[in-house]
Amino acid sequence: MKHKETNMHAPEAVVVACDLITPYGLGIDACWNGLLSGKTAINPLNRFDTEAFQTKKAATIAELKTGQSDSLVMQMLKPLLKKASAIIPKDALLILATTTGEIDILEKQVLSGKGNANESAPGCLLSKVQCLSGIKSPGIIISAACTSSSSAIAQASAMIRSKEHDCALIVACDIVSEFVFAGFSSLMALDKDTARPFDKNRRGLSLGEAAGFVLVMSKERALQEKRFIIGEIAGWGLTNDANHMTGPSRDGGGLALAMRKALRSANISENVVGCIAAHGTGTIYNDAMEMKAFKSVFTSKAVPTYSIKGGIGHTMGAAGLVEVIVALQSLRKKLVPPTVNLRVADNEAEGWVSNEQCAFNNPVTISINAGFGGVNSALILKKCDKQQL
Amino acid sequence: MIISGIGWIAKEKYGCVKRKIRRDYTDIKSLHSKLQNESVFLYPVKNFGRFDITSKMACCAGALALHDAGIKYSEKRKQDIAIIGTNADGCLKSNLNYFEDYVQTGRKLARGNLFIYTLPSSPLAEASIHFGFQGPLLYIGFPQKQIPSLLQYAEGIISRKEASTVVAMKVGKNKAVCFVMKKEEDASSKRI
Repeated sequence: MKHKETNMHAPEAVVVACDLITPYGLGIDACWNGLLSGKTAINPLNRFDTEAFQTKKAATIAELKTGQSDSLVMQMLKPLLKKASAIIPKDALLILATTTGEIDILEKQVLSGKGNANESAPGCLLSKVQCLSGIKSPGIIISAACTSSSSAIAQASAMIRSKEHDCALIVACDIVSEFVFAGFSSLMALDKDTARPFDKNRRGLSLGEAAGFVLVMSKERALQEKRFIIGEIAGWGLTNDANHMTGPSRDGGGLALAMRKALRSANISENVVGCIAAHGTGTIYNDAMEMKAFKSVFTSKAVPTYSIKGGIGHTMGAAGLVEVIVALQSLRKKLVPPTVNLRVADNEAEGWVSNEQCAFNNPVTISINAGFGGVNSALILKKCDKQQL
Repeated sequence: MIISGIGWIAKEKYGCVKRKIRRDYTDIKSLHSKLQNESVFLYPVKNFGRFDITSKMACCAGALALHDAGIKYSEKRKQDIAIIGTNADGCLKSNLNYFEDYVQTGRKLARGNLFIYTLPSSPLAEASIHFGFQGPLLYIGFPQKQIPSLLQYAEGIISRKEASTVVAMKVGKNKAVCFVMKKEEDASSKRI
C-alpha cells in the first residue's frame, strides 16, 4: 500500500452497490417504505427476558433465531453477501465495521458453558465475511463505537481519493443482544416505550439491529466497469470531543468540527447542503447537542433534518452505513423521509424536523453520527449525474 | 514520516526509546504513581482507578510516547491529533468481565462501569480524553503483522492530511507499545 499525496485531480469515491437488512425487512425498499409509512419497527422484544430492564422494546429482525448454528450476525450477513458476491470485485479492500459483532457466541458460553467465547472476537467474524464476499485479501476491522461504519466509509473513501485503493467493500453489522440491552439499561439510556428523536418529550433511545454493505469505487473504475453509480461520498470529517466517555460535549463543538471538516473535504459551502441525516438517537443530551452543532454550522436557514432511529432503533455500529444507504435513496427520490415517532418537535428542532416527508432540491446530504468516547463523524453524500439504484 | 517518540510497557519494565529510559515497576498502580512522580503525566488522570486494565495501559503507554516525543498536551487546549489502536482480540476480556459479572449477579442489573469498556475503542477514548486529542479515533483490527500494519495505517492518515500527528498503539493486559508519528518537516526531533 503506497501513500500518495492528494491533489485537485484526486479520484472521486462513488457508491456502486449497496444492500441491507433492517427491522423493516430485507432490502432497501423495505427500509425506505417502512420509514415513509411513519410506522415504527420498535416492538416488544422476546429474544430474552426483559423484565428487569428499563424497557421491554427494541427493533429486531423477525427472521433471526437464537440457538442456530449461525450467529445472529451471520444470519443477517449470509443472504446479503451471497446475493452480492457476483458483483463484489475480488481485489476490493474489505472493511468490517461493528461494535460487538458475534457477541451471542460469548453470551452462549457464559450462560450455558457451550461454545467458545474466543470465537466472538472480531477477527473471527472478519474471516467469515471474507469467505462470504470472496475477497482475496483478509481486510481490516474498524470499530469506533456508533460511528464505526460511517468512519469505515470515510476511511475507504479517503483511501480511494489518495489512490491507495480503487475499490472497497464496507460491511457493517450489530445485533440486539442481552449483553448490549442490559448495558444500555444500566446507563438509563433507553426510552421505556419507543425512541422519539428530536421530540420535546423524548426520553431515550431504542436499540435496533441491522447489517448491510456498501461497495465504494473510484469513479474512473466504476465507469470502466460500466457500474451504476448510486451516489458520491464527496467529503468526510472525523473528530473526537475528548470530553466524556458516555456523554456528548454539551456545546456540540466536536460534531460541528467534524461537519466543517467534511464540508472542506468536499470543497463545498454549507449553503449547498439540502438535507441533514442526523444521528438523532432520542436521548435528551445527544439530540440537543446535535441541534447546537447544526445551528453553529448552518447559520442562515433551517436545513431539513431527519433521524431514522424512531423507525429502526439505534443499530449501533451499523447505524452509519444504514443511514448512508437511506440517504442515497433519499437523494435519488428527492424526498426527506419523516422522523418516525416525532410528535411535537423540541423547541430547538422546530422548523428543522418533521414527521412528514418533504421534497428537497439541493442534491447534497450531510450524514452524521456520534458515539461513546465522544467520537463524531460527518459524511457528505452527493447525487451523481449518472445514477441508478 | 518519522516516528518521533516510542513508549513501551512490558511485564515489570517500562521505558521511552529516544530518551533511553528503562525502569522497573511492580503493578499498574505503581506504574501510574511512577509516571505521575516523573511528570510523564503532566496532570492527574481523572478516574484512573475505575478504568479497565487496557485503558490504564493505553493512558500510560500514550504518556510515555508523548514524553519521548517531547509533545506537551492539555485537556483544556485540545489538539488535532489522531489516535489509533490495535490488538489481537478487540475487547474480549472486558466483554467477559462485564457479562460474567452481570450473570453472577442474577441477570438483573449490569454494571455500567464495566459495560463502557465493551467497545474496542474505549481505551483509545479514555486516552484521548486525558490528552485532549480531537482528531480521528479508530480501533483497527489487522489479521496479521499488527505493528507494521498499524504504522502503515498511521502514515496513511498523515499523508491524507486527516491529522498532522498520529498516536498509534498496540495495547494488551500487561504489555503495550505506543508510537508518535508525524510528517518529517513537522517533527522537531531526530529520526529514530
